[in-house]
Amino acid sequence: MPITRRLVAAGLPALMLAIPSLAHAKAAPAFTAVDVDGKTRSLSEFKGKVVVLEWVNEGCPYVRKHYSGNMQGLQQAATADGVVWLTIASSAPGKQGYFPDGAAARTWMNAKGAKPTTLLLDPQGTVATAYKAKTTPHMFVIDRDGQIVYEGAIDDTPSAKVEDLKTAKNYVAAALNDVKAGRKVAVAYSQPYGCSVKYKDA
Amino acid sequence: MCRALDLAWNPFMSLRKLFAVVPALMVALFLGAPPAKADPVHTGHIEVELVSQEAGVAPGSTVYVALSQKIQSGWHTYWRNPGDAGDATRIVWTLPAGWTAGDIVWPTPEKSRVGPLLDFAYTGDVLLPVPISVPANAQVGSVVTLKAAAAFLVCEQVCVPEDAVVTLTLPVVAGMPGTDPKWGAKVAETLAKAPKPAGLKAVFQLQGSVLKLAVTGAPLKGADVSGAFFYPYSGKAIEHPPEQAIERGPEGLTLSLTPGYDFTQAEQKPTELSGVLALNGVAYEVTATPGTIPAEAGGLGAPPAAPAKARGTANSADGGASLGLPLAVAFAFLGGLILNLMPCVFPILSMKAASLTAHAHDAGKTRVQGLAFLVGVVVTFLALAGLLIAVRAGGAAVGWGFQLQSPAVVAGLALLMLLVALNMSGVFEVGASVQNAASGAGAGGDGVAGSFLTGALAVLVAAPCTAPFMAGALGYALTQPPLLSLAVFLGLALGFAAPFVLLAFIPGLLGRLPRPGPWMDVLKKGLAFPMYATAAWLAWVFSQQTGPIPLAMIFAAAVLIAFAAWLYGLAQARGALGKSQVAPLVIALVSLAGVIALVWVAARGEPQVTPLHDERPPASSAAGPGLAAEAWSPEKVKALQAQGKVVMVDFTADWCVTCKVNEGTALKGQRLVDAFKAHDAVLLRADWTKRDATIAAALAEHGRAGVPLYLVYPKGSGEPVVLPQLLTEGLVIEAIEKAAKG
Repeated sequence: MPITRRLVAAGLPALMLAIPSLAHAKAAPAFTAVDVDGKTRSLSEFKGKVVVLEWVNEGCPYVRKHYSGNMQGLQQAATADGVVWLTIASSAPGKQGYFPDGAAARTWMNAKGAKPTTLLLDPQGTVATAYKAKTTPHMFVIDRDGQIVYEGAIDDTPSAKVEDLKTAKNYVAAALNDVKAGRKVAVAYSQPYGCSVKYKDA
Repeated sequence: MCRALDLAWNPFMSLRKLFAVVPALMVALFLGAPPAKADPVHTGHIEVELVSQEAGVAPGSTVYVALSQKIQSGWHTYWRNPGDAGDATRIVWTLPAGWTAGDIVWPTPEKSRVGPLLDFAYTGDVLLPVPISVPANAQVGSVVTLKAAAAFLVCEQVCVPEDAVVTLTLPVVAGMPGTDPKWGAKVAETLAKAPKPAGLKAVFQLQGSVLKLAVTGAPLKGADVSGAFFYPYSGKAIEHPPEQAIERGPEGLTLSLTPGYDFTQAEQKPTELSGVLALNGVAYEVTATPGTIPAEAGGLGAPPAAPAKARGTANSADGGASLGLPLAVAFAFLGGLILNLMPCVFPILSMKAASLTAHAHDAGKTRVQGLAFLVGVVVTFLALAGLLIAVRAGGAAVGWGFQLQSPAVVAGLALLMLLVALNMSGVFEVGASVQNAASGAGAGGDGVAGSFLTGALAVLVAAPCTAPFMAGALGYALTQPPLLSLAVFLGLALGFAAPFVLLAFIPGLLGRLPRPGPWMDVLKKGLAFPMYATAAWLAWVFSQQTGPIPLAMIFAAAVLIAFAAWLYGLAQARGALGKSQVAPLVIALVSLAGVIALVWVAARGEPQVTPLHDERPPASSAAGPGLAAEAWSPEKVKALQAQGKVVMVDFTADWCVTCKVNEGTALKGQRLVDAFKAHDAVLLRADWTKRDATIAAALAEHGRAGVPLYLVYPKGSGEPVVLPQLLTEGLVIEAIEKAAKG
C-alpha cells in the first residue's frame, strides 16, 4: 500500500535522527543565539573550525580578573589563528551581568577591548543549560569535528586576584596549542571556578 | 534577596545563641589581660578573626587555631569542594620558624541551590579549625604571633572575593595551657562534629548511568538515614545537583549518584571516591574503593516516613508503613476488591462482563474461564511487583504505577486498547476461530487464553489507581524484604480477581444472567466504546509525557493498526469462503511493522526522567477556573507555612484516573475556592506523570508508593494531615478549616 509505505518512510528519517543521540556525550550540543549585532548565529555555521566558548558576567570579580588583559590577549591570539571565539552572556534579566541589548554588550566590549569573534546574548540560559555551564568564566574548546576537547576552568589557579595570572597555567591556551598541533588535549577537563552562572530563578 | 538554603543541619545554630552574650564577654576579656589576643577584621560581608582552642601553647604540642567567619545573613562562603560554582576559603600562614600548619578541618557544609546548580556552602557563624604544630624548642615564656592571610569568596546573588590578614598572639607555656575561655568550647565542638572516618566500609560501582556508593558499618546500623547525602571531595567525581536516591540496608545504605567527568569521560577511571556522608545531625568521612555493592547495604527500600509517629491521619485505614504483615495483606485484599470499582478499571470490567455473559449458561466453561482470569491477574500482579522490587533494588526512585511513567508502555497500551475495541466492534476476531466469527456467536478469543489475557490487561491498566486501603498496604509492602512484599501483592491480586471468580463459581449468580442471544452481540459492540475512550485517554497521557509531534505519530500508528486489523478481518472472511488470504495478511504485517517503528520513534522523543528544567507549565489549568495550583517542592511547603498559609499538596499524575476524578469533582468548585481564600490556603501540585525522585521520596515519607496522596499542612509549622484517596469537596473544606485553626 502506498500510504503504508509513505508513513513508514516518514518514520525512518525520524528514526535516523534519534540515533546520533546515542553517541558519546562529548559532541558539542548545537545552539542558536542572537549576537551583539542582532544577528542570529548558530554553532553549525562554524563547522570545520575550532570554536572556543567563554561564559561571561561582566560584574563577576573572576571575570574582571581575567579581563585585566589576560582574556583579551587569549581572544586576540586565538582569532588570529583562525579560531572562532564566542563569548556568551547567560545572566537572566535583573541578574548581575545581564545585557539588556546588543548595544549594552558592545559598550562593555569596547570599554574592555574584548576581541571575541562575537558575543552571544543568552538571557534565557538556553545555551548555558545545553552545556551545563556552571561558572563565569567557564570555558569550552570544540575541535573541527564538533567534539568538546576541553571544558572547565580557564586556568589552574582558582582566585580572583590579578597577580595570580603570572604563575597560573592556562588550560585553554594549552588546549588550543594541542589542537593546533594535532595532539590529544593533555588536560581535557577541570573543575571550573568563579561566580555561578546567573540563571533565571526556577 | 534571601537565598533558599537547606538548613537541614547546621552545627552552628546553637552557637548563634551564645553569640548573643559575646559582646559583654568580649569587653570583659579585653579589659582584663587576655591570655590569647586577636583582632577581628571586617571585610565587608564577613567578620573574620583568628581564635584558639587553648589559652596558650606548650612546646612540642599541637594546638587548634580556627578562622572564625561571622557571615552576614543571606550570604555564604564555600566548602573545600565548592560544588558547581564558587571558591573555597584559603589560608596562607606566616608562622615563626619551626611552626607548621596543617589542613583546614572542614565542618559539614549545607546545600545551597542556585537555579539548576548546587553549591556546598556555609552560612552564619563558621569556624574553620587548623592544627598548628608547636616545635619542641619553643621558648617557654615567650609570646608568638600567628598570622593568617585568608582569601574567601562570599556570595549572595552576586559574589565578592574578600581578603583578611588576621593575627593571633599566644603565650608559650610549660605543661597544660588550659582552654581558651571564649573560644575553647566552640572550637572543641566544631572539631567533635567534623566528619570523621568512624571505621565505615565504602564501595563504589558504576552501574550504567548510575554510580552506586554503598557504605556499611556499625554507626549506620539502624541509623536514621533519611537525610543522607554524599559530599564529594573532588569536584569532578559526580554531578552535584541531582537527587541522591537512598536505599537502606541492614548494615548501612546505598546512594545512587550521578557520575561526573571522572567516571564518564576520563581515561583513568578513579580508584577512589572520597568525601563526606552526612546524615541527620552526624557526618562521616568516607573513602570508597571500587567493588561490588554488598547485599547488606541495600534491599530495604527508601527510608520510611522519618517522623512516622508524630503524624496525624484523617483516615485510619491509611496508616502507612507501620502496618503489620497480616493486616497489610488483609488491607491489600480489601483494596483489590475496591479496585474493581475505581474509574480506571471500568472499561476492563465491561469487557469481562461481555465475555462472561457469552458462557453464562455453560457452568464448566465459565469456571475454567474464571480460573484463567484469576491466574492472569495473579501472574501479572506478581510480575509487575517483582519488576518493581527489582528496579527499586537497582536504586531507581519509582513507585506503583511506574509502568505508566514510560511513554513507550503508554503508547503500547493505547494501541492495545484500540485493538481490543476494534475486536469488540467486530472488525476482526482473535485466533483461528473463524467458524465462530462466521456463525456470529461472538465468542471469539474468549477461550482460556482470552480470559488469561483479560486478567493481565486489567492489572496493567488498573494498577496505577491506588484504591483506599491499598495505599497503606503498598507503602508497607515496598519497605519490606522482597518475599513479604510479594505476599502483600498476592493479597491485592486475589482481592482484585475475587468478584469474577465468585461469579464464575456460584451457580445461583450465573442463573440470574439473561439467556444468550443476539442481544449479546449488541452489548459487546456497545461496550467497545469504553475501550475506545480508554485508548483516547492513554493517548492523551502520552501527549502529556512527550509532545504534539510524538502524539501525531501515535495517531498515525493508530490509523495504521486499525487498517491492519481490518485487513486481518478481511483475510479471515476470505478464508472462511475458501479464498486466498495471503495478500491482505502481508499488507497487514507491513502495516504492523510501521506501527512498531512509529511507536518506537515517538516514545523516544523525550527522556523519561524529568530533566533539570521541566518545561511543562505548572498544571494550574487542570484544577479548573478559580483554584490555581502552583508547582510543588518541599522547600515551597516550608516557605508558605512560614508565611502563615495553610498548604494543601495534591500528589497526582495524568495517568491516575482517581486523581483526575478528585481534581474534577472535589478540587474545583466555587465553595472550595472561597474556602481557600477565606483561610489563606494554597494548593500545590506534585505531578508524577513522569518519573521524579523528589516526589517518590515524598510519597515514601508518608508510607506511600503511588498517587493520589493529599496532604494538608497547618500554617506556621507542623506535620500534615493525610486526606483519604477519594475526596469530597466538604471533606477538603473541613480539612482546610481545621488546619487554619492550627
